[in-house]
Amino acid sequence: FTPLRGGLSGGLSQPAGWQSLLSFTILFLAWLAGFSARLFAVIRFESIIHEFDPWFNYRATHHLTTNGFYEFLNWFDERAWYPLGRIVGGTVYPGLMVTAGLIHYVLNLLHVTVHIRDVCVFLAPVFSGLTSISTFLLTKELWNQGAGLMAACFIAIVPGYISRSVAGSFDNEGIAIFALQFTYYLWVKSVKTGSVFWSIGCCLSYFYMVSAWGGYVFIINLIPLHVFVLLLMQRFSKRVYIAYSTFYIIGLVLSMQIPFVGFQPIRTSEHMAAAGVFVLLQVYAFLQYLKDRLTKQEFQTLFFLGVSLAAGAVFLSVIYLTYTGRSSYAKIHIPIIASVSEHQPTTWVSFFFDLHILVCTFPAGLWFCIKNINDERVFVALYAISAVYFAGVMVRLMLTLTPVVCMLSAVAFSSVFEHYLGDDMKRQSPPLEDSSDEDDRKNAVTMLMLMLLMMFAVHCTWVTSNAYSSPSVVLASYNNDGSRNILDDFREAYYWLRQNTDEHARVMSWWDYGYQIAGMANRTTLVDNNTWNNSHIALVGKAMSSNETAAYDIMRSLDVDYVLIIFGGVIGYSGDDINKFLWMVRISPSVASQPQESDYFTPQGEFRVDKAGSPTLLNCLMYKMSYYRFGEMQLDFRTPPGFDRTRNAEIGNKDIKLKHLEEAFTSEHWLVRIYKVKKPENRDRVEHKLRGADTTKQKYTSKKVSGGAEASSEGVFIQERTQLDGT
Amino acid sequence: GAWGLFLNTRRASTLADSRLSGLKPEKVTQMMEWTSKRSVIRMNGDKFRRFVKAPPRNYSVVIMFTALQPQRQCGVCKQADEEFQVLANSWRYSSAFTNKVFFATVDFDEGSDVFQMLSMNSAPTFLHFPAKGKPRKTDTYELQVRGFAAEQLARWVADRTDVQIRIIRPPNYAGPLLLGFLLAVIGGLAYLRRHNLEFLFNKNVWAFSALCFVLIMTSGQMWNHIRGPPYAHKNPSTGQVSYIHGSSQAQFVAETHIVLLFNAAVTMGMVLLCEAATSDLDIGKRKIMCVAGIGLVMLFFSWLLSVFRAKYHGYPYR
Repeated sequence: FTPLRGGLSGGLSQPAGWQSLLSFTILFLAWLAGFSARLFAVIRFESIIHEFDPWFNYRATHHLTTNGFYEFLNWFDERAWYPLGRIVGGTVYPGLMVTAGLIHYVLNLLHVTVHIRDVCVFLAPVFSGLTSISTFLLTKELWNQGAGLMAACFIAIVPGYISRSVAGSFDNEGIAIFALQFTYYLWVKSVKTGSVFWSIGCCLSYFYMVSAWGGYVFIINLIPLHVFVLLLMQRFSKRVYIAYSTFYIIGLVLSMQIPFVGFQPIRTSEHMAAAGVFVLLQVYAFLQYLKDRLTKQEFQTLFFLGVSLAAGAVFLSVIYLTYTGRSSYAKIHIPIIASVSEHQPTTWVSFFFDLHILVCTFPAGLWFCIKNINDERVFVALYAISAVYFAGVMVRLMLTLTPVVCMLSAVAFSSVFEHYLGDDMKRQSPPLEDSSDEDDRKNAVTMLMLMLLMMFAVHCTWVTSNAYSSPSVVLASYNNDGSRNILDDFREAYYWLRQNTDEHARVMSWWDYGYQIAGMANRTTLVDNNTWNNSHIALVGKAMSSNETAAYDIMRSLDVDYVLIIFGGVIGYSGDDINKFLWMVRISPSVASQPQESDYFTPQGEFRVDKAGSPTLLNCLMYKMSYYRFGEMQLDFRTPPGFDRTRNAEIGNKDIKLKHLEEAFTSEHWLVRIYKVKKPENRDRVEHKLRGADTTKQKYTSKKVSGGAEASSEGVFIQERTQLDGT
Repeated sequence: GAWGLFLNTRRASTLADSRLSGLKPEKVTQMMEWTSKRSVIRMNGDKFRRFVKAPPRNYSVVIMFTALQPQRQCGVCKQADEEFQVLANSWRYSSAFTNKVFFATVDFDEGSDVFQMLSMNSAPTFLHFPAKGKPRKTDTYELQVRGFAAEQLARWVADRTDVQIRIIRPPNYAGPLLLGFLLAVIGGLAYLRRHNLEFLFNKNVWAFSALCFVLIMTSGQMWNHIRGPPYAHKNPSTGQVSYIHGSSQAQFVAETHIVLLFNAAVTMGMVLLCEAATSDLDIGKRKIMCVAGIGLVMLFFSWLLSVFRAKYHGYPYR
């Protein structure tokens, strides 16, 4: 960056003063830009927690702030996974909740009374500013200050990172990327200086990362890889030895303090590379020490033997462990993992969508880094290569790729700007005509680069506003004249549950909505987004996909009071339960093998809800609950009654009668429908016509009793019978 | 005496076996002949009706219904097929091999009538046709639950037919061979140039390979590897070949190659721009480099953008 001319007085008369003022301003503006870009959802809707997982985090944070830290660590949540419950303290990464809780505590200490919800909503945008500062620091260590500032600006607005950190998306990733970048900065710093101070700082930052996100595994593998490659490149030095030995030991001990991580760092395969490199480093250092005390010949044999043995053993074991671990994971594709859309591989379009110009320029930055290699640039090259591999395998890991792409692109752009922007002439006295010619070219390049950056900014804003700023709890639809309708059905229904049902009522729904029900309606759920118990989910899927009688048995055995489903047929909302229905069928046979997926298809292999649909589908519980009374409803005059707008079909079963359920609530746009599960009747209704003579005897012998749970109703039953006999 | 008896009973039982198979000996021998050629018998509708559906038969058949033609775009089918081959080979070359069980496959494009007959609509599907009686519900393999690993399949086959198959995976020679070849080449080079190992420290080589890897990944080759899309799509009615997939959710192989090229060109443009300013070449060459850099970045980035726009309709400024 060119220092501006002129100056007022004192520090500003020196270029360094200007430089620091400029960097400060730019970082501040980057923070501001990043913060405001993330506010689309708050401005359009309101300060609200988004989607699914954030609702759990919010609920946990709320618990933390009301009951204190130790209560939170020991929290057993009986509202989830009925009847099993969930031990929350030991199964979460507490960093996010503790951070939000701490901010809330400090603010309240200063008498800034903010609701914990607002802290949670604005946490990720605030941390994005910290991320850009730590990216600035890291890039400055790797290249120079100019590249650092550029990287900070890039990461502030790049969609790949915004996707996980808009206001309201209160999720682990929001703070974890900051922790990741800061840990890397401190690591590079400690390798550069070889001081224990920076190393300890790195460990503390790593500890924060471990407490915040499962992605810490990326750090504990990348740093050993860096050390290993440095060894191979014969760049071993005391600095590396001090940095890594300190980091490994203290980092290991600290990471084991998180209850959810526990003893994993010394047990599981993904942590073994770190241990292996630690051993290797000690062996290498020991041999280096012996070198001074042995003759050259002796030493050479010993050296080769020791190093090759150690390296071979470590390498083989790592390969073996990762290979066996990965292949089994890839081969047995479990439906519940496959059903989550963010576990898919990445197309080039997603790369371009999330990174735009950066995706084509960051290889140039990588090129420059490798051409001018040093210890820390080895690190960034390895970071880029490993992150790009993981991002290719899984869409959600685009998040770990984004920071390094920003840094390397900044390197590329800033190298170009360095040479073409500004008026310093390195080559003295060129011919006059050439000079003007060169100026033209310089201007052209500068214009081109600025143009690209402008397009990048426009793209980022567009993507943020259109793709990543929907809370998905509140929906909006736009009319032709541009006016907006807010569909607030979800909250309407959850609020209804909160107000009108028993405090301990148990609500069955598909697992996607578990966290929201617990968070907004404060009711007990059977399954939720923490999908730790597949068979429990399968039971719910089975209930949804069986016919009403079979489903009733399952629901009785699970003590279900209400069933909540999402139905988008009225407004054309495509993410509803009928569209997710096949996953319920697929997941359900892991318990019992009765519903077959093919039974829900037509003979032609189509999934249809109209008359041609399979009878199994038209009579299953999910279908009945979704379309109950829908056949009476005519949405507009061009379509027949009972026309489903999501699937563009007239439903095939319009006359739906429910026997064991009754409609309890349907939201304004029918998006959420809640059914109450009836208690078993006092006595079974007789299906056939009563015969004239001995009706009383016939009536009661056909009673089906399904176990001891019916004892109380049995008692009533007998009483009634005697009474009847008497008359 | 006892030994003789034992032998006698054994002979008797084998006799009974041959008499039983004497019902349709030509069918079994035919099946055996096919199996000796390929451990998984390929069937069409005709063969399926004759050898599987027609009742007098004393062998079980395990059939994989699949769609392996590239235009079907079934990535799972390929993986399942590999596992099925492993299973069939393990059986074919095991010491316990008998004519009790055969493995066969029906491809949708060769025997779509079979698919219709069994009213099947998804591939891959594994069905077991027992020697006696009709297939029951448990004769359909629960693919969604158990996955298609050969070990799981073998457990299912053992459950249905009482034939225990020990899975023996053929060691994958391709990987080690390639690695060995590479090592040999590198070793050879190192030996030839043993006095001058500079090339190992050649940054250009390392930078170039790193760039290749990065470009391969960012152009979605991993997606291709996992999903196995076709190279391009040819419209059967007009004969027009489209290289770009219309949806933003999918891609063709050709498309990713194009994108790889574009990304590489933009990268090269950026590098050229820098080189033009820093290198020690004479001014004319630097000028050319600079103009080429501008051209590459501008041309290929806008081209890339237009390809992207073709996939994201109405991008942006709505």
